[in-house]
Amino acid sequence: MENYVKNVLAPKLQGDGGWIEFVSFEFGVLTVIFRGECSKCLILDRCVNWIKQEIKRDLGIDCEIEYVRKKPFFWDT
Amino acid sequence: MAHIKVVRRSMRPEEWTDLRFGWLKRYIYEDKFEIENIKIKNARQTGENDYEFYPEGWQPLKRGDMYFTPDGTAFFEADVIVPEKFYGKELWFSLKTAAEIIVKCNGKYVGGVDPNRERILLTPYIDGNTALHFEMEGYNRSKPDDERNPESLSVRGCRQIFEGAYLSVINHTVLDLVYDIELLLDIAKSDSFNEDLRAFINRELNNALNLIDFDNVQTADVANAQKYVNDVIFANDDYKGNGDVALVAHSHLDLAYYWRRIHSVQKNLRTVLIQLRLMDRYPDFKYTHTQPQTYEMLEKYYPEVFEELKEKIANGQFEPVGAMYVEPDCNIPSAESLIRQCLYGQTYYREKFGKTVDNAWLPDVFGNSWVLPQILIKSGVKYFVSNKMSTWNDTNRFPHNNFIWRGIDGSEVYACVPPTHFITWNAPSSVQENWDAYQDKNTGGQTLQMFGYGDGGSGVTEEMIELMHRFKKVSAMPKTEHLGGSEYLHKNFDGNENLEKWDGELYLEMHRGTFTTKSDLKRMNRKLEYKLREAEIISTLKFLKGAPYPHNEIKDCYKILLTNQFHDILPGSHIHPVFIDTMKELNEIDARLESVIGTGEKYFNSLNFKREHLTFIEDADGHSERLGVKGNWVIPNIPALSSAEIPWRTFAGEWCEIADYITTPFYKIKFTKDGSIESLYDRELKREWTKGEFNKLKLYKDNPGVYDAWDILPNYKDTEVPYRIISPLKTVEKSSECAAFEVILGTDKSTWKRIIRVFRQSRGIEVENVVDWHEKHVLAKAQFDCNVLTREAVCDLGAGFIRRETHRNTSWQQARFEVCHHKWFDMAETDGGIAVINESKYGAGFYENSASLSLLRSTIRPDIESDMGHHEFCYMIYPHGGDFVSAQINNIAYEYNIPMVKADLICENSFGELFLQTMKVSENGKMIVIRLSEQNGKRGRIQLSGKVKVLNMLEDVIGEAQTLEYSPFEILTVGIEL
Repeated sequence: MENYVKNVLAPKLQGDGGWIEFVSFEFGVLTVIFRGECSKCLILDRCVNWIKQEIKRDLGIDCEIEYVRKKPFFWDT
Repeated sequence: MAHIKVVRRSMRPEEWTDLRFGWLKRYIYEDKFEIENIKIKNARQTGENDYEFYPEGWQPLKRGDMYFTPDGTAFFEADVIVPEKFYGKELWFSLKTAAEIIVKCNGKYVGGVDPNRERILLTPYIDGNTALHFEMEGYNRSKPDDERNPESLSVRGCRQIFEGAYLSVINHTVLDLVYDIELLLDIAKSDSFNEDLRAFINRELNNALNLIDFDNVQTADVANAQKYVNDVIFANDDYKGNGDVALVAHSHLDLAYYWRRIHSVQKNLRTVLIQLRLMDRYPDFKYTHTQPQTYEMLEKYYPEVFEELKEKIANGQFEPVGAMYVEPDCNIPSAESLIRQCLYGQTYYREKFGKTVDNAWLPDVFGNSWVLPQILIKSGVKYFVSNKMSTWNDTNRFPHNNFIWRGIDGSEVYACVPPTHFITWNAPSSVQENWDAYQDKNTGGQTLQMFGYGDGGSGVTEEMIELMHRFKKVSAMPKTEHLGGSEYLHKNFDGNENLEKWDGELYLEMHRGTFTTKSDLKRMNRKLEYKLREAEIISTLKFLKGAPYPHNEIKDCYKILLTNQFHDILPGSHIHPVFIDTMKELNEIDARLESVIGTGEKYFNSLNFKREHLTFIEDADGHSERLGVKGNWVIPNIPALSSAEIPWRTFAGEWCEIADYITTPFYKIKFTKDGSIESLYDRELKREWTKGEFNKLKLYKDNPGVYDAWDILPNYKDTEVPYRIISPLKTVEKSSECAAFEVILGTDKSTWKRIIRVFRQSRGIEVENVVDWHEKHVLAKAQFDCNVLTREAVCDLGAGFIRRETHRNTSWQQARFEVCHHKWFDMAETDGGIAVINESKYGAGFYENSASLSLLRSTIRPDIESDMGHHEFCYMIYPHGGDFVSAQINNIAYEYNIPMVKADLICENSFGELFLQTMKVSENGKMIVIRLSEQNGKRGRIQLSGKVKVLNMLEDVIGEAQTLEYSPFEILTVGIEL
């Protein structure tokens, strides 16, 4: 899962100015950090649902996703 | 009793107008027919025109479905039969989207939709067919074309909801009134216009809209409302405007930024296509488009659109502007790189369109080097356009908009720095604001306003043209004229004797961090600029001995480097994948050039002066180590443009005493434990060089805000970041030529190894830095508090030098707390000073007797990981007697930057005191081109053995000479016929 997030998902999100980091995958729950453009995206939930679908298709795993947005100080308004 | 805040609930008249205006827009489409059998195939772009497809393949796409993926490209197809009710009517395709979609219908490119436009006229392109086959390609990204468009902001994000695609018919009566009201509301809401005029417009717009019953909207009522607007509002000329504004259509296209460069191929297609379709509809519409590289991409991947483009160029509607191959950064690239931008750009324009473009169009670049005017003039460019100084300076208002810019050598170009941004909507308010801000009203002629969406391309919209056509109806507006870029420049500058003059660099008081951000890119750029020089000189000399000249290979490599000098690539202001792509491309051309250079038995000195300063020569059996590579420190003693063996002789004597003080033939040095120098006593010149912290690593909190990668703030020194000594200074080498001392410093996150080298045969003190860098928002500098009384620092510009004041007397000096330099800077008294020579750094700061070299930054926007990880770089402290010219600092810096290579070649002529910047076979293959650069501020002459052709920088023959006269900082290009 960590490799998948790092090597498959991350480059795609980075291509859009976003950023995803793997934190853990335990008991069917994938925890990630979103930075960059993702950290302030108003419709991030759509992307999270897409990530779930991608994981299901590519890894055959049904997972829940918990995420943290790490917004830089200059967007922290 | 609780206080109840009274909130006004009744609607102001202006709000009532706005509300009805919104209702009116709903009637723009007279009829719509949904295209229902759309299918979509998701992909991700992997090359300029290559895609990796998602495994699902084609899927149906229905209104309400999610579509697009992060960094995704989607392909669409649909077939539709035009319903009979649309027969004989003007047919449109409409699709509201946040993505950027290129649309083909029945095999023809019909246009594009994106956040700034939602419909495409079909009728002229479908030849009356009623069976329509649509093919579309869309690219979605989270950053819209222009953040100032609030409508596009609301739809940003990687996953979009498909809102349906339609065949549509427009009610032009409604649309015309919508544009009238759009124009008038812009005036009514703008503080730039007279209060009474705004009240008049508000009152009369209300009256006009009262003629429409919004419960039962009838076209006849809309027509009556429009007649009222014409008869009452437009007919009123009580309010007089003044000013004269030229409107030039343009779309700024960042080749890479929040997107990878590969995406710019389609961004450019969409932009060009949209403008071509507007030209079909509006014969008076003219559009200016920069960057030959984008034309080249269009020609390569979309030849049918390119052919159409050529027709529009021939009829004068589509105008290629900007002589440079891309819009490069204009601080960091070498003079030769800037020349090649012009050479390859102009060569392409000449070959494809038969024209030499006489302007440089660089609206978004982050300041402009003083070497540019000469390069432009000698590349057929008389006019220079750039915006940032007028709109982004943080301290001083740049005093001119239309003026003459005088370069380092005295060359002069006409310069236009328009008073407002290069991305505008072409609304009355932006026209008025431009005129109000224009500072050369009495001397500069018309002011220039560019209009069109930009950054990610897209350009002008139908709305912008429609509004422009209405400007003449508004007496309160400045006079406007829609012109082409070149047309504007010629009209307002040619023969204008009233223009003011600016003599100096065009320093941008902003984006000072871009001299340092993405350190590895800058290092590769410097290395490859000199490697290309080496490859061309060696290839030319081999060619003269009968070998084929690798013309295409060198040109390919050059073009890749030039593309990566784009002003959001080389400065470091881009997302992470752009950095990955660029480093990959630069490493590839590094390897290709290695092959071009080849090898030989002897070492070759490509410099046109004797190499007589200490140089590190790689050798697996060497006695020293530098940047992890074994080798020897030797003085090559190889004459100009010659080959020789470099013998290694061990010096047997004792030359360096290591005790509390390090004593060398040149210095007595006292280091501190962190590797900085407490005392640097010059034994030859009998003087102390330090006065404070010298060669001290300084870490500062660097929080510029949202323009993180771009900016360093003037208060960056407020907070120092402490570091500790992990391993105190120790001796790591004492060989017959070099003694080296290593210290390891660190923070909680990073380690910084410094190796300081002193030499038996050189006054240079080299500092090698090996850094494992994991900071966030930290700027690293090396500080040099010099025992030198001076009010100026001299900075290398790559083809000459600039003197910059080190005091802060006025706001102009205060603003220049961080500046760009190239290979070296120098602070000196009349009989001696200190130079700091680098091999990859560009940022520097000066204050009184203190200089600082910027080493690394750690920004997080646009790239979260910017500059993280391993870095290796060196610089050399070079105290000297006399001034920097007599001390040959520039030559030493060339020797420091250009590694020795092996090649068994010789050239008989060394071209006197000028620097041999280039030697190559001409683009037409008929001459050897030699470019010489005066860099010490002297004049003189070179007597040649025979006559040569005098060339401009485009390699056109402009004369013949046997004696070459030169003046300070002049760059001469000559050709020897083959």
